Amino acid sequence: MVLAIVETLSALTAPLRAPKPKDWTAAERDVRDGFHAGDLIVAAPAWADPVMRMHLGDLIPIPTAGRMDAARFSRIWEIDQRGARAPEARGGRVVLERHHGALTVRQIERAAANVSYDFLARWNDAQVSRVDASGTALPCPYQGDRFQCPQIGFNYVRRQLVEVDTALRWALLAQPVERARVVIEFPAVVLGREIAIATGLSNVWMRKAGKGPVDLTVAIDGKPALHVTTLNESGWLISHVDTAARAGQTAAVRFEVSSPAPYARHFAFAAEARS
Amino acid sequence: MSWPASPVKRDRLIALVLGIATVGWLLVAEKSEGFGRDEGQYMRAGERYWGWFEELADNIKHRAAARSFSQAGIDRYWGDNAPDHPVIMKTLYGLSWRAFHRCTCMGPARGLHPIPVRGRHITLPLFARDSTAFRFPAMLFSGLLIAMVYLLARRFVPRPAAAAGAVLALAQPHYFFHAPIACFDAPITTMAFAVGFAYWKSLRSAAWGIGCGAVWGIALGTKHNAWFMPVFLAAHYVWMRRDDILRRHRPPRIPLAFVSMAALGPLIFFAHWPWLWPAPMARVHMYFNRHLQHEHYNFEYLGINWNNPPTDLAHKLIRTTFPFVSTSLTVPVTTLALAIWGAVVLLRRRRGAAVVEGGAPEAAPDGARPSWLRPGADVDRAPGAFLATQIFGPLCLLAVPSTPIFGGVKHFMPAMPFLAVAAAIGVAALTRVVAAQVRDLSRPRVLRALPAALALLVCLPAVAETERSQPDGLSHYNLLAGGFAGGASLGMNRQFWAYCVAPMLGWINDDHTDNRRMYWHDVLGDALHMYKREGRLDMAVGDTGAAEAGIQASAMGLLTWEKHWAIYEGWFWESYGTVKPAFVRDREGVPLVIGYKRNVR
Repeated sequence: MVLAIVETLSALTAPLRAPKPKDWTAAERDVRDGFHAGDLIVAAPAWADPVMRMHLGDLIPIPTAGRMDAARFSRIWEIDQRGARAPEARGGRVVLERHHGALTVRQIERAAANVSYDFLARWNDAQVSRVDASGTALPCPYQGDRFQCPQIGFNYVRRQLVEVDTALRWALLAQPVERARVVIEFPAVVLGREIAIATGLSNVWMRKAGKGPVDLTVAIDGKPALHVTTLNESGWLISHVDTAARAGQTAAVRFEVSSPAPYARHFAFAAEARS
Repeated sequence: MSWPASPVKRDRLIALVLGIATVGWLLVAEKSEGFGRDEGQYMRAGERYWGWFEELADNIKHRAAARSFSQAGIDRYWGDNAPDHPVIMKTLYGLSWRAFHRCTCMGPARGLHPIPVRGRHITLPLFARDSTAFRFPAMLFSGLLIAMVYLLARRFVPRPAAAAGAVLALAQPHYFFHAPIACFDAPITTMAFAVGFAYWKSLRSAAWGIGCGAVWGIALGTKHNAWFMPVFLAAHYVWMRRDDILRRHRPPRIPLAFVSMAALGPLIFFAHWPWLWPAPMARVHMYFNRHLQHEHYNFEYLGINWNNPPTDLAHKLIRTTFPFVSTSLTVPVTTLALAIWGAVVLLRRRRGAAVVEGGAPEAAPDGARPSWLRPGADVDRAPGAFLATQIFGPLCLLAVPSTPIFGGVKHFMPAMPFLAVAAAIGVAALTRVVAAQVRDLSRPRVLRALPAALALLVCLPAVAETERSQPDGLSHYNLLAGGFAGGASLGMNRQFWAYCVAPMLGWINDDHTDNRRMYWHDVLGDALHMYKREGRLDMAVGDTGAAEAGIQASAMGLLTWEKHWAIYEGWFWESYGTVKPAFVRDREGVPLVIGYKRNVR
């Protein structure tokens, strides 16, 4: 009987506990008042993100919405409800906290990574080629919006929004091809303490259709530094290469993408050299 | 009207009232539910099937009836939505539409009908909207179900508890959402219960033994779930007659009900579906293959997007939990608790004893002897095992990791009315416990009112949750989950097939410029036609087509939020140059539909 009463009351009052438009308007005002270019705005729980973007989406560039991770952001605005907290805001110092009905706005400051080289922002600096099993390299020139390799239409490298693990990411799409390696080399990368590399398979239909693994090898000045195998289940996996010993130096960083079963393998990656 | 003296007549009257009240509630609720991609197809098919009858009448008039029975004459109409689903419900939807819609068919939407409109339809215009007329048979089936739940529960418990069981069968947000729409999941739930009930009666009635076969035949013509029903019944039958095997060392006799099902079921199935007639074997084969090889659509469960059968052990185990966890997070918690209590009562019951005091079981025939005609006459009919097989049969079927789960709860909904009967037994047990307390207080007036008061009390949360959930029952989760928001946080499926856009039609209609280039995402043409036919959507609203090209050609558009559609939102961002939606339709803060406009910053 107690359960029946509790459940009834819960059903009747639950709609009242949800954030109202005026709560969002007030939260929006707080964020706009204190927002600086380069700040990150997040919603918690993450499923509230579209509502947050409806109010503040004009302050969120597409690359920020599809960010590799939140390491480079020192100021984060978190709008939360129901006691949830955003993982992006973890470990920071709350410098402002305001409550608006069912919403809480927090401004969080924290030590951010200093990005010495953003491979996505500098993707036009890359030299792309396809290297076949005999070692012959075919250059893939930049054409319009992509590096297009010869003869195979889908064999290109392009910066675009991709869906990995049902989330949107701003990344380089580089599909592997049969019996060859797709090579993307950045000749002059300013190294930091590490290179963070995120990898994943786009998109949901391709993950349904294909099963093959995709191998990514990263070499710095010709020396292998990382090997990652990406599977359908890998999600958006972030790996780290320690470059602390060479921080501040300039080096060539080479990414090689290959797969023993490249059917429907829309491999995507993003990377940053960081201190 | 006076209160009938006969207890049987009283129960029938109560069942009738419950059935009518069910249809009434559904008629009030259905108008806010949009059209999903499947429902739009079934409405289209139903109207087209009507076209066959129309043409048959013409052909008879011209002494050429054989034309309607030629392969071309059949396939022109009955080929729609074949081999996907048999046609009893779709035919009823089409006939109901033809009989009860208010005809505006000669107006601007005339060209949106799947068959030519030759002139103004003469109808009995019960319903203002075409879709209500299509949906009406589904609501009648739900009314029938609720009446039957009462009548079966009444075999075990007193009237107030049986009535509570009937209400608890209806007041389940996911079932209630499906109940009024022109699909098959609620009707097959009715038919599963009807088959179970007929079988139960057949254990002591030869007439129902024959009737059971006919009822199963109708179930086969409703949806393919029916093919599994004999397995669940056989499991109960073997348990009920286990002494034949364990003590008499012989298999139990095959009962009349099973013989009747084997004979009448396929016959009715074949006879009801004209599309099968030109090539019976080949087309039955196509029908089975359609479902045996059904694609695994995308479906979110516990934060994972499932669109293939799992291959590793961990995912197989998670996938196996799906029907059980989904049930525990979608059925009102009070209903679940009462069903568990009912299960305990049934477990503790001794063979031959009443389930609880106050039920109205059929008496065993006089001089009961073992007989295949009345195979439950000489033994205890094991009501606990009966309910258990009917509840866990559909759940276990959907627990097999290789079965697709894209329809979520609807695929094992036939378990739910039996669960409600178990809950009715729980209500009776609760009443007994509370009555014992009140008896100590020596208050006879309270004691008399208690059963009805308790029945009312335990129905309140289910009714409140159901009202709260509408028109988004697919997105609703119970108190254990934490409602809409809790379901989203747990990564439970939010919705499917774009039923959720109806409340956004005003937002779309209001923009007379951009809506000419409207991107509709998962809302398919059949649903758009129906919205326009009913005047809910401006006739000039456009449709830029599917996927990325559709978004690129659009000036505004919408995205129904499901986990696997993320890339579509990315196409909006890239094409419109912004991540800012113009409108978000949410329930208790949980986004369901995201609307974009190209020129909004």
